[in-house]
Amino acid sequence: MLRRIRQHWKNYIGTSRMALIGCIILGVWIVLAIAVPLFGPWSFSEQNAGIRNQTSSLLHWFGTDRFGRDLFTRVWYGAGISLAVGIISTAINGIIGVLYGAGSGYAGKRTDIVLMRIADIISAIPSMLYVILITLVMGAGVGSMILGLCVAGWIGMARIVRGEIIKLKETEYAYAARMEGIKPLRILLRHLLPNTAGTIVVNMIFLVPQAIFTEAFLSFLGVGIAAPAASLGTIIQEARSQMILYPYQMMYPLLVLCIMLLALNMVGNAVEQRLSIRTGKGTGDK
Amino acid sequence: MSVLDVRNLSVQYLTENGASEIIKDISFKVEKGEIAGLVGESGSGKSTAMLAVMGLLGNRAVIRSDQITVSGEKPVPGKNAAMIFQDSLSCLNPSVKIGRQIRETVQERLKCSRKEAEVRAEELLDMAGIRNPALRMRQYPFELSGGMRQRVVLAIALACEPELIIADEPTTALDTLVQAQILLLFKRIVRETGTSMLLVSHDMGVTAAMCGRVYVMHKGRIVESGAAEDIFYSPMEEYTKRLLNDARGGSLPGYGHESTENTTCGPVDGNGKTPVFRMEHVTKIFDEREGIRDLSLEIQKGEIFALVGESGSGKTTAARILTGILKEDGGTLYYRGAALNRDRRMDAFAGRVQMVFQDPYASLNPCLTVRESLEEALRAAGTRAVLSPETAEHAGHPESRPAHRNREKGRMEEKIDRMLRLTGLSPKDADRYPGDFSGGQRQRIGIARALIVEPEILVCDEALSSLDATTREQILELIFRIQRKIGFACLFISHDIYVVRRISDRIGVMYGGHIVETGETKKICSDPWHPYTKQLIEAVPEPDPLRAAKIKASPVKDGTGINQSGCPFAGRCGYALECCAGEVPENYLFNGREVSCFLYSDRHSGRRSSDYKMTSQI
Amino acid sequence: MLRYTWKRILTGIFSLFVLVTVTFFLVRIIPGSPFQRGGVSEEVVETIEQEYGLNEPVMAQYFSYLGNVVRGDLGISYQDPATQVSDIIARAWPVTASIGIAALAVSVILGTGLGILKAVSKRRWVREVISAGGMLAAGIPGFAAAILLLLVFSVKLKWLPASGLLSPVHYILPVTALALYPSAMIARLVGNTLEGELQKDYVLFARAKGLGKGQIILTHALKNAYLPALNYIGPASASLLTGSFVIESIFTIPGLGREFVSSITNRDYTLILGLTIFMGAVVIVVNLFTDLLCAWLNPQTRRAYR
Repeated sequence: MLRRIRQHWKNYIGTSRMALIGCIILGVWIVLAIAVPLFGPWSFSEQNAGIRNQTSSLLHWFGTDRFGRDLFTRVWYGAGISLAVGIISTAINGIIGVLYGAGSGYAGKRTDIVLMRIADIISAIPSMLYVILITLVMGAGVGSMILGLCVAGWIGMARIVRGEIIKLKETEYAYAARMEGIKPLRILLRHLLPNTAGTIVVNMIFLVPQAIFTEAFLSFLGVGIAAPAASLGTIIQEARSQMILYPYQMMYPLLVLCIMLLALNMVGNAVEQRLSIRTGKGTGDK
Repeated sequence: MSVLDVRNLSVQYLTENGASEIIKDISFKVEKGEIAGLVGESGSGKSTAMLAVMGLLGNRAVIRSDQITVSGEKPVPGKNAAMIFQDSLSCLNPSVKIGRQIRETVQERLKCSRKEAEVRAEELLDMAGIRNPALRMRQYPFELSGGMRQRVVLAIALACEPELIIADEPTTALDTLVQAQILLLFKRIVRETGTSMLLVSHDMGVTAAMCGRVYVMHKGRIVESGAAEDIFYSPMEEYTKRLLNDARGGSLPGYGHESTENTTCGPVDGNGKTPVFRMEHVTKIFDEREGIRDLSLEIQKGEIFALVGESGSGKTTAARILTGILKEDGGTLYYRGAALNRDRRMDAFAGRVQMVFQDPYASLNPCLTVRESLEEALRAAGTRAVLSPETAEHAGHPESRPAHRNREKGRMEEKIDRMLRLTGLSPKDADRYPGDFSGGQRQRIGIARALIVEPEILVCDEALSSLDATTREQILELIFRIQRKIGFACLFISHDIYVVRRISDRIGVMYGGHIVETGETKKICSDPWHPYTKQLIEAVPEPDPLRAAKIKASPVKDGTGINQSGCPFAGRCGYALECCAGEVPENYLFNGREVSCFLYSDRHSGRRSSDYKMTSQI
Repeated sequence: MLRYTWKRILTGIFSLFVLVTVTFFLVRIIPGSPFQRGGVSEEVVETIEQEYGLNEPVMAQYFSYLGNVVRGDLGISYQDPATQVSDIIARAWPVTASIGIAALAVSVILGTGLGILKAVSKRRWVREVISAGGMLAAGIPGFAAAILLLLVFSVKLKWLPASGLLSPVHYILPVTALALYPSAMIARLVGNTLEGELQKDYVLFARAKGLGKGQIILTHALKNAYLPALNYIGPASASLLTGSFVIESIFTIPGLGREFVSSITNRDYTLILGLTIFMGAVVIVVNLFTDLLCAWLNPQTRRAYR
């Protein structure tokens, strides 16, 4: 098992310094997001009128907000929610996207056209409308946020996987597999999809920051996760009304969010680069 | 003074693990008005040396030399030296019109106005043998044929008005007939303009046909040099001898005589036998030219039947229809005498038709190890075998399933090992990925994968054309040896009549989607009947300066395209009759030979008695 | 080419029709009535609904709405019965489009320039600075960048105004925030493809025929390298032209994005529908232009579409 992980690490990440830094930051972020709300002395939601709008101090590292809540705890709690939303919705979107795209691409012909038109129409409507509709029907919360992100979030992945499968379907080894009499489903799963693994991984990594960003931006607009739960977007939104007076209340969650997204992008970029070098070597030289 | 004088050139590449020397201390000369040749296998450093001479190598290369001069001066690309590359499609900018690509060269060189450059560009195209240059100037590279593009590239090189043209594998990507045309064009240009040419090639035949002086290169060194006659008729070095031997293609062991003795495997000249596979009047037309029209052929048990023809003649389409990858528009296919269902052909064949592909890099799944690839094939064959009666008995055996599975696995492993050894690989290679192998080895794996399910028909679609001469020899021999040993029927597709004449029992010559001539290989190659077959054979340069100098090419006519309304070859045929343009000739049958040409019709040669012996009419 | 264009226009119209239909029914799912507010009695709500035709069967509403849309009538706003939806669009769109076009111009020029620089620069640090900057700009979400810019330049340094669009100076912050991501993307796409393009044989051949480096890049390689960037610029310019919800809301710019957000929270059916249709139309038209431009740039597809 360990050897396999090391092998995958070597395959996808190699010796990139950028990826390493990204992974370390992500690791620290995850540990903080879990540990601070659990073991910290403050609660993320308990209001305390006595300590409103304090600046950073030894007691409250990031200060407190206008309801006297400890911002350090709150920011890390929010980061946890953001990460959870990002990762869960990515997992769902990834699975739907891969299956839909692979099915559409492999079936081809009319099925493909119909499926892709449906996807086009779903993606033509702003995702904000979906989230708002869902929160109106189901109530605001993490669940409806994830659901809202998943209505249209899988389409990009589906398009990419479809394109790859259409390309791979016409390769000579796919023909060979068909001639050997291997069943279509097995050809798709064993012969074609593994060859798209690299592309899928890269896109999955990029889907996470995208989802986190969309969630933050919707929460920032006020349609999204409702109190007492809070994501980084909600915290930034709450700080907005007193931006001029207490800019730090906005600065901390913003920085935590930006660094998180940057780390994810760094990992994604490194893996993408690594993959393009690897595949380039595989077919390039004669 | 020599036009090109290179002394002690060395090229190193700086890599992470230190410097690696690609070119080691080579010297060569090209005299005025001369065509010199640099010959060697791919990977010998020929192209690197040429780019170093032109000063076009990247930053990572370190070049050392005592002298590189063109007529005593430093070589300046586009001024005193020009270069032609192998792949004319990739070296012309795909999104810029031909006209501009030539014009800008002229403008750069002569510093003249746009108008003057345009006129000069047309002149150059005309000189390079392009009809209707004004039209071509307005077209994009992809709209031209390969030969036409190579002419455009030559015109651009000529626009530089260089003293030296370096041509790096200029005809490797072209069909034999077009190659002959381009080679003759090069000769004419050198004669007319007085420039010198350095022709780089891996092909001994091309070198023999063109060059007066030859340098043989091997692993970054020049191992032998001298006049072409000396090199080809009395080579000194082992390496040169080996190259020549591979190019001449020593006879395949057991070819010819064995086929007549071996009654179980060899082709049998009886008409009573049912062929393994038969195509009748099959048609498949695409939007573009390629496709097949009214094609009939049959493959006997245990024979190697070859389809030969230029690219676009429909060979690959025919193969893909046979395997079921493509569906025909019309016509019928028979397997062992039974007509096949059009839509479910792959199921009907159930693995009995397998294919070896052209590109060894694209034909193996990079995600599966060799063992996994072979296992996949075996497993698919295994699930089918369960349905057959013998294995059904096995299934009823009171045997615990894991034990059965173990034994099954053992049998599979054994089979895989045996197949790998048969194809000249080691069982140790089984757990490596295709990426770890060279082109030749990959082709062996491809053959192993095709043969492990014991097919009745093996289709080899240009299986050798991407390999270099030595590897090609090995794989050719391998296919031949295994075929004679196992006795499957083989459809062998190639553009290279030289390869085909050595391996096949019978040949079908294709042109424009039709088979124009069919018959026994030896008869067709020694005495071609159809004008196209004759051109094809005459265009092949042999590795022999005297004979290769006689290569012929049909003159380029405006109607080089395929004639759609009558005989497809009518537009290019030197013997064309009036009826050829408008009527499609039938197949005329003479004692095992079929030819589709009006020269053999009753109308042309008169009514014949039944025992009339037809001879070549050309 | 002409046939292709017609085909694209027809499919565009069809997509627009589907968009109208889907949005119409989606909006009707929103629970609650647009006129339900604190203090308004049931009866009043009902009379108003009657006036607007909301008590009729949904299908009847749908068809009458469709008929109006074909005539170019997008209806009147429910929240502000005195104004036509088309008037709101006519008022808000020029605002949105002006910053959108400015941002587009900035990002195309900046992105292309940096992309070329990244591909051809021999200095390692130049390439690394550009790619690191690109990653930073692409990694930070637009609204975070907007807030950071606002905090630094208006709140802390007080150099630039924080809201409104009164003078050219007001444009600087929103346009920067809008252009950051697209310029990074364009720089990356142009840089990467150009780098690959410069490795190709035709560049080597162009050098062998004596062309200069600048000429090769500008007249040969860039034309081929711009295709992926153009494929990105199309949809990106569509989204810039339809307005950014956040940027407009942060800098309080009265554009389409802000109207859209408020229309949804107000459940202003006709306005939501009208804006969605308008935005959809802009997206479709821009995509059509991009596709045609791509086809024009790539002669192989151009000839195929004849």
